Amino acid sequence: MQDERMIKPEERLPEIPRTLFLFRSCTGSLEYPGTESAVKECLGILGIDAVMDPDQTCCSGYLLTCSAHKPEVSLAATARNLSIVEKKHLDTYTFCNGCFGYLSELAHIMLHNVDYLHMANSMIADWGYKYEGKTKIFHVQDLWYRMKDALAQKVVRPLNGLRIGTHHGCHYLARQYRILDDGGYPTFHEEIIEALGGKPVFYKERQLCCGYSVGRGFTHKEETVQPQLYKKFKSAKDAAVELITTVCPGCNVAMDREQPHLSKRYGEEFNIPVIDLSQLIALALGVPLPKLGFAANTTSLNGVLKKLGLEEGS
Amino acid sequence: MGPDFYIPMRLNEVDDSLQKEIKENLGVDLEMCLECGKCSGGCSNGQSFDYTPRKIVQLVKFNDEETLLSMDALWICLSCQLCLDRCPSGIDLPRLLDYLRAKAYRKGLRASRPQVQLFYELMLSSVRKIGRVSEFPVILQFNWKTGQYLKDAHLGLTMFLKGKLSFLSPHVKEKEKVRRLFNGSPVESRGNNR
Amino acid sequence: MRNREKTAIVIGAGPAGIEAALKIGQAGYQAVLAEREAELGGTLRQLYSSFPRWEDPRDLLDAKIRQLENCPRVSIMKHSTVEASQLHEGGFLVTLRDSRNGTTKDLHVDAVILATGFALMDLSIYGEYGYGIYPEVLNALEFEARLREWSQGSGQAPQGVALIKCVGSRDRSKGNPYCSKICCMYTAKQAGLVKDMFPDAKVYVFYMDYRAAGKEYEEFVRDVIEKKHVRYVRGRPAKVLCENGRLLVRAEDTLVGLPVEVLVDVVVLASAAVPHPGTRKLAEMFGAKTDEYGFLENERFEPVKAADKVFFAGGCGFAVETPLALQQGAAAAAAVIALFNTR
Repeated sequence: MQDERMIKPEERLPEIPRTLFLFRSCTGSLEYPGTESAVKECLGILGIDAVMDPDQTCCSGYLLTCSAHKPEVSLAATARNLSIVEKKHLDTYTFCNGCFGYLSELAHIMLHNVDYLHMANSMIADWGYKYEGKTKIFHVQDLWYRMKDALAQKVVRPLNGLRIGTHHGCHYLARQYRILDDGGYPTFHEEIIEALGGKPVFYKERQLCCGYSVGRGFTHKEETVQPQLYKKFKSAKDAAVELITTVCPGCNVAMDREQPHLSKRYGEEFNIPVIDLSQLIALALGVPLPKLGFAANTTSLNGVLKKLGLEEGS
Repeated sequence: MGPDFYIPMRLNEVDDSLQKEIKENLGVDLEMCLECGKCSGGCSNGQSFDYTPRKIVQLVKFNDEETLLSMDALWICLSCQLCLDRCPSGIDLPRLLDYLRAKAYRKGLRASRPQVQLFYELMLSSVRKIGRVSEFPVILQFNWKTGQYLKDAHLGLTMFLKGKLSFLSPHVKEKEKVRRLFNGSPVESRGNNR
Repeated sequence: MRNREKTAIVIGAGPAGIEAALKIGQAGYQAVLAEREAELGGTLRQLYSSFPRWEDPRDLLDAKIRQLENCPRVSIMKHSTVEASQLHEGGFLVTLRDSRNGTTKDLHVDAVILATGFALMDLSIYGEYGYGIYPEVLNALEFEARLREWSQGSGQAPQGVALIKCVGSRDRSKGNPYCSKICCMYTAKQAGLVKDMFPDAKVYVFYMDYRAAGKEYEEFVRDVIEKKHVRYVRGRPAKVLCENGRLLVRAEDTLVGLPVEVLVDVVVLASAAVPHPGTRKLAEMFGAKTDEYGFLENERFEPVKAADKVFFAGGCGFAVETPLALQQGAAAAAAVIALFNTR
């Protein structure tokens, strides 16, 4: 019954791709454009070509959770997006756990249920799209971990032991089988951070969900999301975390933008900036600050940048 | 006037149709549940649930569709997948809850606090009208309909003055094509979905 | 060819192997007891106490070893592993290797008893429990050693201990689906011992069920709960975290349906019992079948027979407690004796 739970990065990505399709994320490209920019810069430094396509739509993650109402819309949207990638004969790389989770799950459903595949394809056939299941779906964190040593060699601004807490998010490790790390106690982000010269901190609520879950952050902000985030930030503050990294723009929104509200509600200051792991890697690899888009962050990065001997520019 | 006190459930009169339905349509076999509680123990939002994950499985076994489709937990579940990851029997609770949400919608049942359903409906109706989600009208309608009239008002003003908020969103060029998606065949859950 | 005495080789000197060799020797046949380690006793030697009578396992071991020494037909070979075997003149020619100097010795035997015992499963896939990550998360055998340390007055006295059952057992998702049979009993024993040594400590056992199927077993567990005041919580823990240097266990108390937490100093994981590594290879050498977990399979209607002239007893067949290992060893010996008597 059991497939391998954990596989080596070389098994997940046997070859480093020369060219890949970078899947745009609604939140990652619009809310925090620095994330998309950082991913592209890092790929450039590693010598990998990133292809994008304006025809792509949102992964329909928001719609998927609406799928109680109209699941066929999500299936069609996914099939269409993936068929765009297939026309280019590339693999799909996302930089959002949400996109990754939804694309993988919907692709899996379509490829294991012929009825759904036919239904999705019949809806998009008019416009000349057809999904065949050829493209493989990855998250850029797969790539960063696979190329950890290459990244370590290209570090230009070492992180000087900056105390960094990670937030792995839920929808990547929740795949359970054939993933890079143990969902019970993941450490691969921490390894990347160490390779860049930072000091990973295992704060107590490291693995707690951010609570945003595409919509709950909006509909239940005060009831469930803020208490959840408060627990998380309290334990991060107790562990003297200076920076938190995420791999999901949704989580980033939750943790970055809610901090002022948390301060007001619970009477405690946190001031822990939250950025994407790709932005951190780009920072260490010497990408110029304007390209990292830190101006989009609610919680200022001034403290961290000063510690690294940099000025926040924009 | 019948008895006004709780009469114990007679298990031999409880039929297992819901359990069977879930097994056939989703491939989730609740008899594999060891009732160990590892799901509830790790549930991210468990302290806010009115019924913890393990209790939800038990409710299915009691065929208590009424509670299942109107409970708060159904809508505030975060889909973080920790319950599935930790379950020693691999019971797909997130999928079960997705299925129940779809069922609740089809039956027109509203949760006692319907924010989540309202949110979905507003987003989808925006997509149907103009082919994409236009945040401003969605948020405005949401706050209005949930009685939080002035929520985010000053934030909205700031954003508008900075040019980050537009009242009118450009429509998608071929929005009739998107609309057609909404007329697609209703999803029939057939066969094993794994 | 001169008349050679019928000889059986017993591989593994835990309680099952010891009893088997003893009975064969006492019946008048030659028994070679081959043991890999420097001492006899197997897993039993590592235990601090035993159920259901709280006896010191070393008393049993010492008594058995004395019996062995008084049995002239039993020859004990420590530091020995079986390297190869081939069919030879109606029996087997077994090559034994001495791990101290690498020398080998060939033995002509007429029957084999496999008694290699069980080991504890590797818990590194249970990252959620922190095994291998937090130093105070121990498996059951490591905890027995800790109990011995505490009894000798060394090590830090705990204020709280949590014992988690069914780690790697009854788990179809990433462990073994079977129940490892002995953990409910030894967990109760370990919990009771902590309370004996540190009456003010808070001890919790997290369970799904407790299985006390044996003579005096139920009474044993009830004593641990009612007389020694160990708190049993029904719910399989979801996570072990570190808080201020102590360990936090999160679970649901399923009987009342609420999430609960306990803050303790040591967490003990009752790990699944798996066959000792090397058992599968050994089985192949002698033409015996193993199941998908590596446990030896018996032939139909022959509960201790694995193949022609090959028998087995103890933990290599499935997890078993000491009294039953002794019984199985005696049963395997009986089968060998029956075989030898029919020539």
